[in-house]
Amino acid sequence: MTTPIENIRNFSIIAHIDHGKSTLADRLLEVTKTIDKRLMKEQTLDSMDIERERGITIKSVAVRMNYKSKDGKDYVLNLIDTPGHVDFAYEVSRSLAACEGALLLVDATQGVEAQTLANAYKAIEQHLEIIPVINKIDLASADVESARRQFTDIVGLDGSRAVLASGKSGLGVEDILEAIVERIPPPKGDRKAPLRALIFDAVYNDYRGVIVYLRVVEGRIAAGFKVKMMSNDEKYEVIEVGSLTPQMRAAEDLEAGEVGYMICNIRSLDKTKIGDTVTDLLKPATEALPGYSEPKPVVFCGMYPAADTDYMQLRDALDRLRLNDCSFSFQADSSDALGLGYRLGFLGLLHMEIVQERLEREFGLTLVTTVPNVSYRVTLTSGEVMEIENASKMPPSNEIDVTEEPYIEADIMVPTQYLSAVIDLCKKKRGIHIRVDYIDANRCMAIYQMPLAEIVLDFYDKLKTYTRGYGSLEYRILGYRPGDLVKLDIMLNGDRVDALSCIVHRDRAAIVGRGLAAKLQKLIPRQQFEIAIQAAIGGKIIVRETVKSMGKNVTAKCYGGDISRKRKLLEKQKAGKKRMKQVGSVEVPQEAFMALLKVDDDGA
Amino acid sequence: MACPYCDFVKRPISGDAPDEFTEALCREIAEFEGPGEARSIFFGGGTPSLLSERGFARIFEALHHRFEIAEGGSSSRSTAGAQSSIGRAGARPSQIEITSHPEITIEVNPDDVTPERARFWRGLGVNRLSLGVQSFDDVVLKFLGRCHDTEAARRACGVIGDQFENWGVDLIFGAKPPSAWAASVAECVRFAPPHVSTYGLTYEERTPFWKQRHEAVGDDDALAQYRHAMDALGAAGYEHYEVSNFARTGFESAHNLIYWRNEEYAGFGPGAVSYLGGVRARNLSRIDTYLTRPGEKEESLALSARETKVETLIQHFRTRAGIEHAAYRARFGSEIEEDFGDAIRTLAARGLIADDGGRLSPTRRGYELNNEIGLALV
Repeated sequence: MTTPIENIRNFSIIAHIDHGKSTLADRLLEVTKTIDKRLMKEQTLDSMDIERERGITIKSVAVRMNYKSKDGKDYVLNLIDTPGHVDFAYEVSRSLAACEGALLLVDATQGVEAQTLANAYKAIEQHLEIIPVINKIDLASADVESARRQFTDIVGLDGSRAVLASGKSGLGVEDILEAIVERIPPPKGDRKAPLRALIFDAVYNDYRGVIVYLRVVEGRIAAGFKVKMMSNDEKYEVIEVGSLTPQMRAAEDLEAGEVGYMICNIRSLDKTKIGDTVTDLLKPATEALPGYSEPKPVVFCGMYPAADTDYMQLRDALDRLRLNDCSFSFQADSSDALGLGYRLGFLGLLHMEIVQERLEREFGLTLVTTVPNVSYRVTLTSGEVMEIENASKMPPSNEIDVTEEPYIEADIMVPTQYLSAVIDLCKKKRGIHIRVDYIDANRCMAIYQMPLAEIVLDFYDKLKTYTRGYGSLEYRILGYRPGDLVKLDIMLNGDRVDALSCIVHRDRAAIVGRGLAAKLQKLIPRQQFEIAIQAAIGGKIIVRETVKSMGKNVTAKCYGGDISRKRKLLEKQKAGKKRMKQVGSVEVPQEAFMALLKVDDDGA
Repeated sequence: MACPYCDFVKRPISGDAPDEFTEALCREIAEFEGPGEARSIFFGGGTPSLLSERGFARIFEALHHRFEIAEGGSSSRSTAGAQSSIGRAGARPSQIEITSHPEITIEVNPDDVTPERARFWRGLGVNRLSLGVQSFDDVVLKFLGRCHDTEAARRACGVIGDQFENWGVDLIFGAKPPSAWAASVAECVRFAPPHVSTYGLTYEERTPFWKQRHEAVGDDDALAQYRHAMDALGAAGYEHYEVSNFARTGFESAHNLIYWRNEEYAGFGPGAVSYLGGVRARNLSRIDTYLTRPGEKEESLALSARETKVETLIQHFRTRAGIEHAAYRARFGSEIEEDFGDAIRTLAARGLIADDGGRLSPTRRGYELNNEIGLALV
């Protein structure tokens, strides 16, 4: 498939979520006739149902396009699509490392957002050529001049060179293609040198095993090659290489500068390290390419099958899902209240929601999920240091010397009129004010340091509410800092329910405890016997709520003799109870385990 | 005017029920393929007292033509049938002696009751009247959207009490204001009907009441009302023989006991349900289609053995008598213990049913939480 290296362009599209990245990618595929127009559907590159429904990109994907430029030459353009959500920021870095350039897309009606900036900086760090693109210019509320100014003033790019486009109508798509050819440099790399190929992603296929996505940096790779992974010396024989169009199309070889896939009998994704360098076993390179730091789960929660009998199914489902997504972690866990289940770690809340949804949807499971939390570092008086990923495993306070929690630095971009609301919100979330940068007359960026725990609960939703949807957020993990943290326990009829324990800041413990007990009182339905709900801090009860016993539950008449109708109604009601967990003598609905998320900052 | 809380099949009419309806009903009865003997007849599920004398006469004629209506002998204790319906008896009741043989009931509205009409009904062979009083309080009657007032209710009670030995009053609790309940029960007791039904108001979907369901009287108030009825009617000598029904000895509703023992019955009319040969079936419920195709079913369900057992237990646990172990064994050839052991033990532990060795029956709490028993059994 040899294409002269100077006729190859490798690029990504980076954008804030909702700025029209997937639609623009569709148009590029259409104009380059990569995909027949009749076979086009929306969000072509997003193959998962969840991606289409939510309108987001979760997985990176690469696609090869052929383009005849106005200069008369034939080019190969490799687009490496990237996710837009902050949870998947690590995927963006990975993709960028395989490119020489990037389209930085901004919605003409929205302007630059927090993630536009964060992603732009990532591209700049990797010395990529950035082409500013102003999208959605055909909308009535588009403000092209303001977007140009923001590119210049905020991002530090030349806004006057921005390409104007509309992914929806296809306007400007040719201009973008020309800009890619003109402005993005071709890859460098010696095709005669020993093989070095960067693994930027991998997916699992039921029939073919692991499919490795790679960018050949030097040398060439072909079927029949014996290769090794430079990180662990694992050796494989290459079965097939080829390009993604986006379907896999086998090719004779891949040469320096090219992007494609490799299949070589790798059984599971665990064996593949993203960021690893593939080299030729017979003529190995001496030095590996710079790799990536591995994404580390920052948010943890318990997942339990609603029916205890589904435990094995859950285990199988997790094993299977991990073949596809090795960015979440899981380990067996058990809860007195919820039985056998798993403790899972995620990159963020969206990631958690997606994994839960996939488990339920693709594997037909009904799950009870506990409130997400971060990982705490506890130093005991004995000097021992523990990582606590589950509030119920917190040691008693008298054995603890120091408790630390992860902090982040958040960039929050908002229209100026919402700044005071955002400052309010950050204050409630224990934020430490660092500074506010005024971006232009209308917008500013507030920079706060705050505990990650506050972010994972509901910060993003709150931010959207406080700013009528205009606020955007980007954050980086800073590390652990000590905090005055206590464990809050919930007891039902006197028995502590481990799955409802949480770790909160001492100053807010009483408010949260009261709020949580009140929420549970509303969520737990009346049952035959009265239920006492108590919240306790360090074993001391601070509040008690009561769910009164059921008054009456009787159908007066029998529907004109239709006894079967009544039986069916009862069966339906009973099926609805399957989402309830029997905790001691109390039936607790699934939502109750997430009640903490519904407790407002003022405890209501 | 139709009751805004009722989800029965209905259609507004002025004056007499149209002949086409009577004719369709008579045709359905005549073409009925099933047992030829009826032990009880019940005209209900709406307002049959709206029917003209001519209509009644016509339907009775059709019934007599199609069925042999068992005449009462001292040995014939119980009978079967359904809302405008007929049936055949299953297992014999063990405890209850029924006064009227065969029991022929009409549900009537107070406004439709006159001495002349009452005499006419008696002349047709009707020996039991069920009077839809609902309340002896005008505010409550208005809340319920009833046409009659307290005066009409009192007058009707007087007329019926004079002419019928076997009659009953229906009362509804859970209506507003709840404070009127005790006085209604007391007034009912003063008229001394041998049978009293107390139904909790329910907010059914597809009724005008549905959108007001959030304003319903609270569960706790409704429970207090129900308990008051149990206490007051118990003190007045009524036996609380079924979740919603109270009677003086011998005046239990033979017809309704058929349902509560999950025995067979035939139902005639739009939307009427039958249970024959293990099949629960419902007639077309749209009146216009019923008129052209009476007797056609819109749903038929052949019940499995398990479903039949579940329904049988659910129904028996509505009655004070519950179910005898021996009767269950005789009917199904198995033990309750082997079919429902876990559920029965849980229910007993929760104090909802009791086992005296010979029979399982609901406790007072088992009456109040009767659906919990059903939930454990399904």
